Amino acid sequence: MPREPRPFREGLLTIDPPRLHGSRCSACGVTAFPAREFCPGCRAPEGIQPVELDNEGRVHSFTVVRQAPPGVEVPYILAWVDLPADDVRLLARVEGDVELDMPVSLALTPFDDELVGFCFRRAS
Amino acid sequence: MTLAPAHVAGVGMIRFGKYPAEVTLERMAVGAAREALGDAGAPLAAVDGLYVGHVFGGPVAGQRIAAQLGLDGSPVSNHENYCASGATAIREAWVALAAGLHDVILVIGVEKMTDRVSGGVRPDPGDLDAAVGYVMAAGHALSARRYMADHGATREQIAAVAVKNHAHSVHNPYAQYQKPISLDEVLGARPIAEPLGLLDCSPISDGAAAVVLCSPAGLRRLGIGGPVPRVLGVGLVSGSVLTGTGNLNAEDVSRRAGEEAWKLSGVAPDEIDLVEMHDCFTIAEIVRMEGLGLVPHGQGAAWTADGHTALGGRLPVNPSGGLLSRGHPVGATGAAQVVELTWQLRGVAGGRQVDGARTGLAYCKGGTVNGTDGGSVTTVVMAR
Repeated sequence: MPREPRPFREGLLTIDPPRLHGSRCSACGVTAFPAREFCPGCRAPEGIQPVELDNEGRVHSFTVVRQAPPGVEVPYILAWVDLPADDVRLLARVEGDVELDMPVSLALTPFDDELVGFCFRRAS
Repeated sequence: MTLAPAHVAGVGMIRFGKYPAEVTLERMAVGAAREALGDAGAPLAAVDGLYVGHVFGGPVAGQRIAAQLGLDGSPVSNHENYCASGATAIREAWVALAAGLHDVILVIGVEKMTDRVSGGVRPDPGDLDAAVGYVMAAGHALSARRYMADHGATREQIAAVAVKNHAHSVHNPYAQYQKPISLDEVLGARPIAEPLGLLDCSPISDGAAAVVLCSPAGLRRLGIGGPVPRVLGVGLVSGSVLTGTGNLNAEDVSRRAGEEAWKLSGVAPDEIDLVEMHDCFTIAEIVRMEGLGLVPHGQGAAWTADGHTALGGRLPVNPSGGLLSRGHPVGATGAAQVVELTWQLRGVAGGRQVDGARTGLAYCKGGTVNGTDGGSVTTVVMAR
């Protein structure tokens, strides 16, 4: 019997529907990804709430990685993706084409034979 | 509060490069240590403690070295801050001297990489960035592409860092590579993480460098009368968790490391005559110099292409050839930078001597941590 698909890290993303999960400070509103137990904005140690991030982003910078340690298949695109609705920047792979400042949307992608990871693709 | 400076009684290193398997970590470290002890005129019995910086050397590498060198039984400590490990060991030695715990300390930075690292270094496997596919070259490639877009800098200007540092390395007999390279060679090299190619990246290297640091009592113990170069202070900061979507190349971690250095040393940034900068990648030299405030933000690429950071320029950066040419055995690099600054401040650096060098800065940045602007950054300020 096929196993239920699982994210490659618990608490980082959910699969149905695809969403990234971070944390938001109830005092200053700063959003963090991945979730942290303190606020990196105002340093509040409490009042941190879980939050689902927006799925729409923009490529702030990207590279095509052509050499990596053994076991990592190349080439692949790595990018800083900004999520304007949450004021969050995160590191992610981009699948398909890429250019600077390109609008992208969150997508799921196999992490390995068993687990599910995330990436971004050009927004439709 | 400022601590007393550490006096540099002696320095030594082995040429960085790729050594066969039988040239072990311990053998390289002992080779560099004997050079430094000989330079200081220090017998082993005069050494109070051994501080060793390394990353991949395994448990108690420092004690393994001590048992080969003849410092067995001494206080030995191992210091890991990734590429800032050697400089971190120097900082801890400076603190121990100032505290009066020891009077003569041998610091060794050492790394054996070519038999255990391939394809480039990366974060700890447990770090989220590593899981996503981050390798060091990729991080700097992301920095470079955005730097070009934000400041109108060209690929050629960034490549000029490699051309400049390799030109310096011709005069450094300890450098892994000692030949000039052309701009066309940098631009045409095999791509590693676009827009960066092979010659934008420091190599994977083996090597060791050593420094004998003393208190005034330690200098007397070694019979050293005249003035010697001093480590005035060593700043250490770690990356902060970033928020928002601001300037990717703000290098606030470098700014804070610079502020620490100026505060601890009493030296003002405009007093720095030369910099040994952690140019693990071409673009890194540019943005880190800007972060320190030694080059105006957004102008580092143009400064490099215009020769302002070359020997004879207004602020020479990496007269040794830097990591790009000297090589980058990660735990050894911080110690090798201090060895170079010592030679420069003694005025014995030969064809790569910075005329009238009185005050120098050595900068290391080690490792990455997901969501932050870096792992560790060290800033060593030295004066003659």
